[in-house]
Amino acid sequence: MSLTDLESYELLHAPSLAALVALVADRHASGLHTVLLAGGTDWLVEQESRPPLPSGVEHPVVLDVSRMPELRALEVVSGEGGDRLRVGAAVTYLELRRSAVVGERAPLLARMAADVGALQIQARGTIGGNLATASPAADGVAALAALDADVLVESVRGRRTIPFSALQTGYKTSTRAPDEVLVAVEIALPSRGAPFVWRKVAARRAQAISKVALAGVAEVEDGRVTRFGVGMASVAPVTARLPTVRALALSRPIAEIDAASVDRAVEADVSPIDDVRSTRDYRLHCAKALVRAWLRQLGARG
Amino acid sequence: MQPSVGVSVPRVDGAAKVAGTALYVDDLPPLPGELHGVTVRSRVARGRLRGVTFDPAIDWSDVTIVRAEDVTPNVVALIVDDQPVLAADVIRHAYEPVVLLACADRAKLARAAAAVTLEVDPLPPILDPEAALSADAVVEGRSNLQKRYLITKGAADVGDEASLAAIEAALAGCEVVVRGRYTTTHQEQLYLEPQGLIARWDDHGVHVVGSIQCPYYVHKALTKGFDLPADRVHVTQAVTGGGFGGKEEYPSVLALHAALLARKSGRPVRMIYDRKEDLEATTKRHPAICDVATGCDRDGTLRVLAMRVVMDGGAYVTLTPVVLSRGALHAAGAYRWRDARIEALAAATNTPPNGAFRGFGAPQTIWAIERHLDAVARELGRDPLDLRRQNLLTIGDTTATGQKLAFSVAGLECLDKARADSGYDEKRRRGPVATGRVARGIGAATFLHGAGFTGSGERNLKGKAAVDLVAGGRLLIRTGSTDIGQGTETVFRQIVADAAGLPIGAVDYAPVCTTHVPDSGPTVASRTIMIVGSIVESAARKVAARVAAERDRAGGTFAEAGDRLIAAGEVTELVQYVSPDYVKWDDATYKGDAYPVFAWSCFIAEVDVDLDTFETTVVGFWSATDVGRAVNPVLCVGQIEGGALQALGWALTEEIVWKDGLIQNPRLTNYIIPTALDAPHMTTALIEEPFPFGPGGGAKGIGELPMDGGAPAVAAAIEHATGLSLGALPLSPERLLAASRRNAL
Ligand SMILES: Cc1cc2nc3c(=O)[nH]c(=O)nc-3n(C[C@H](O)[C@H](O)[C@H](O)COP(=O)(O)OP(=O)(O)OC[C@H]3O[C@@H](n4cnc5c(N)ncnc54)[C@H](O)[C@@H]3O)c2cc1C
Repeated sequence: MSLTDLESYELLHAPSLAALVALVADRHASGLHTVLLAGGTDWLVEQESRPPLPSGVEHPVVLDVSRMPELRALEVVSGEGGDRLRVGAAVTYLELRRSAVVGERAPLLARMAADVGALQIQARGTIGGNLATASPAADGVAALAALDADVLVESVRGRRTIPFSALQTGYKTSTRAPDEVLVAVEIALPSRGAPFVWRKVAARRAQAISKVALAGVAEVEDGRVTRFGVGMASVAPVTARLPTVRALALSRPIAEIDAASVDRAVEADVSPIDDVRSTRDYRLHCAKALVRAWLRQLGARG
Repeated sequence: MQPSVGVSVPRVDGAAKVAGTALYVDDLPPLPGELHGVTVRSRVARGRLRGVTFDPAIDWSDVTIVRAEDVTPNVVALIVDDQPVLAADVIRHAYEPVVLLACADRAKLARAAAAVTLEVDPLPPILDPEAALSADAVVEGRSNLQKRYLITKGAADVGDEASLAAIEAALAGCEVVVRGRYTTTHQEQLYLEPQGLIARWDDHGVHVVGSIQCPYYVHKALTKGFDLPADRVHVTQAVTGGGFGGKEEYPSVLALHAALLARKSGRPVRMIYDRKEDLEATTKRHPAICDVATGCDRDGTLRVLAMRVVMDGGAYVTLTPVVLSRGALHAAGAYRWRDARIEALAAATNTPPNGAFRGFGAPQTIWAIERHLDAVARELGRDPLDLRRQNLLTIGDTTATGQKLAFSVAGLECLDKARADSGYDEKRRRGPVATGRVARGIGAATFLHGAGFTGSGERNLKGKAAVDLVAGGRLLIRTGSTDIGQGTETVFRQIVADAAGLPIGAVDYAPVCTTHVPDSGPTVASRTIMIVGSIVESAARKVAARVAAERDRAGGTFAEAGDRLIAAGEVTELVQYVSPDYVKWDDATYKGDAYPVFAWSCFIAEVDVDLDTFETTVVGFWSATDVGRAVNPVLCVGQIEGGALQALGWALTEEIVWKDGLIQNPRLTNYIIPTALDAPHMTTALIEEPFPFGPGGGAKGIGELPMDGGAPAVAAAIEHATGLSLGALPLSPERLLAASRRNAL
């Protein structure tokens, strides 16, 4: 309803991450909301359907984080546990698509990024925004789930790491505190050439929110799956991590896994709904088909 | 002089649109004192309005409020006077306008609109058009049967009452009888620019400027609505970002609303819909349910057609009778029938009125007949295109209304051309090709589309256009025909340039304002080039003849002779359309020449269907269309390809999701039209079988035609690929999955 209020909003740039988290904490302590604006591709859409602000209330402060250097990292960090990819919260999909290191070491991210919105959205939308909005339909979050990403957040209390497995608590909610700013995600890079899957099922080829999407990464040694991560969009209140499927994939030589047991595992792991984009029935059907195809790709039967 | 007709001259309006300098209505600078206007709508599909409350927390002193009691007469003048400008006490659809507000401050206006509460006692809405025919009245005192037509031919031509038994008897006498039901859904026009206009009053009356397809319709609505003489209503078309029929009748409502607010406030009022309001409140394509029965010989010769069409008109009649008529007149498709009975009904429901949309009823019935012919081919074990070829109308045949086709009939040529271009035969022979879990198939549709107003429409309409001679050897076209993106301005210039023997650069197009241009009839019905184009052509010839006579008399160039004539007085030719003598139509029996001429076409689609997810991708698209004469081949192809893509959207993804009469997906993110990436490469052939009465050497109307064939061609291709035969649109993955389960049983 109301983009008409926008004119009265104040858009600020924080000089540093430290200043940013201090400002957010200050306002939070006095009960005031601060909007962190990255690409704006979620936030502006939300403003449109929001009722108009009553006259006289203090308008939110909007802080542009899209150019904050600490949020713009895109690099491989080598450490004891192997190479890790760090993606700053303000890195855009287009940057992921164009990055040589992402293309080579984490091609799942590049493939996913190419399927988000269309070029215009890819040029503005960020991984941090996708994570913060935390929609169960989010493509980026599905890919981060598959990669078991660590989420780095910072507040006046300092920086901490939230493993993806500890992030989601429910529909659009998470363990990140309201005053914690997303700084980056870090991924333990899969081995070079490790199999991956990105498959988005949507109503058209671009500018379409997933009816179902599957992100997956695996490593297979001697016919056994040794690393297995998946994230599935739009089949549950949160990005689905398919624990039963994962347990199945790791449980026995891949060639011994058959389609029927995959279907049962998927059914245990997802709870899709009917909504304006699709039906529960269709989503369940696709979820099974996508996971079956993914496991076939790894060597499963049928 | 190089001819202009037949050449793809660039669009005259192109540069400004590409550069972003074209001024659409919301780009027009604010007028002094201007207010913004908004509409408060019912949000309940059916009910009694008990009262309206205005939250006292808002200071209403600078907000103009218009309600039903401010409006006399409270009626939108159209075919039937059943639609109020603002609902007074009865709510008949969920987006019924109830209160209008205007305020200079847009943020305050949004708050004010949210502070208006409508107290409505809801009633159970009537939403199913078939059930509506026997339900209580949507509009009190009026039948829910908004209109009925009956077309009969041959054995069925025995009077209304006896015709049903007669056609069933004729069917019973056939070797092969096939029956089926085919349904279609709402479709939103989704022009790029949402509706909007600005109204103001001054000493000369009321002025309206906006995104308008038919300025004289708006003129009529304002003249009647405010009881004004014609010369006190001034309607100007701003640059218009698409219409597709959606800006045919609806802008009259918007104009009345804005003019009411402007009159009450004494200020100019700007009303611009956002996408959501536009999607919810404005007209959409009529959904249709078509029950078809056909009889044919074993060898495939079609004999008998019975079709019953029920269209959902929405809460008010608006243009439904005309849409229904065109639907009925295209129900027999492009084929010969010995006996035919076509009964078409429109029902009122508690949904927003449906209205004009490219194709105007024909895509619905052509969907039905084309899908049905695929079923007949399956029953006979015949190739669907062969079956069509065997039965296509040709010169000398008569249509279901008894129209004898005498010229410009190229259905067969279109079929053969598209068939050859697409490699159809080879691909059908090979059968569906599966690559992994993806199956590829190909399918076709052949069809016709009547150009110009139906029956005696053009004769009654008396469309006029003028060409003026202007100093310096220039011509000015004055017409009420609007360019809404389809290229009218360019093509009319081409026609006039050739008629007068001038370069196209010497021809101008007057801004479309009802005060300065004659009423050429609405910009609808594939009539602009064919009908109005022929009027401007003849006006240009007359002006040129006067200049030529002056040159013969006293010499000089065109410009010199023209200037001498102008010095002696205004030189202008106003021409009124003369319907060719052969066009004979009887409205009472629905018999005769339904249209002056038809355009013909064959569309062929090739699709990939993912057998896991049932996603359909159109991977190839071929068409051949008999356009009479392509005045501007690039624009002509553009019409066909754009219309075909719109048809692919209707075929595959476009669907209004309703809940209790409310639209659940009024946004671009969930009302899914194809994007550029979804558009297949299209191979588009133009066939020119001239219409002797068409301008530029025989042009026919083709604006609507490409909407007709896309959906059935895609459905046929999906059927070829998967064996799944669907009769209901859209052909969504969800529907295909359900069909695959039915097939597996
Ligand atoms: C047309 C269109 C198509 C789209 N298609 C897709 C699609 O295909 N797939 C998909 O997943 N999404 C899609 N989206 C949604 C959106 O583009 C993505 O979610 C995107 O990643 C959001 O990023 P952003 O930078 O634009 O977020 P913003 O809108 O700037 O912010 C979103 C939220 O995140 C918060 N935020 C931003 N940065 C931080 C930070 N560093 N720390 C804490 N909070 C922060 C903001 O305060 C806000 O609440 C689409 C959106 C549009 C408009």
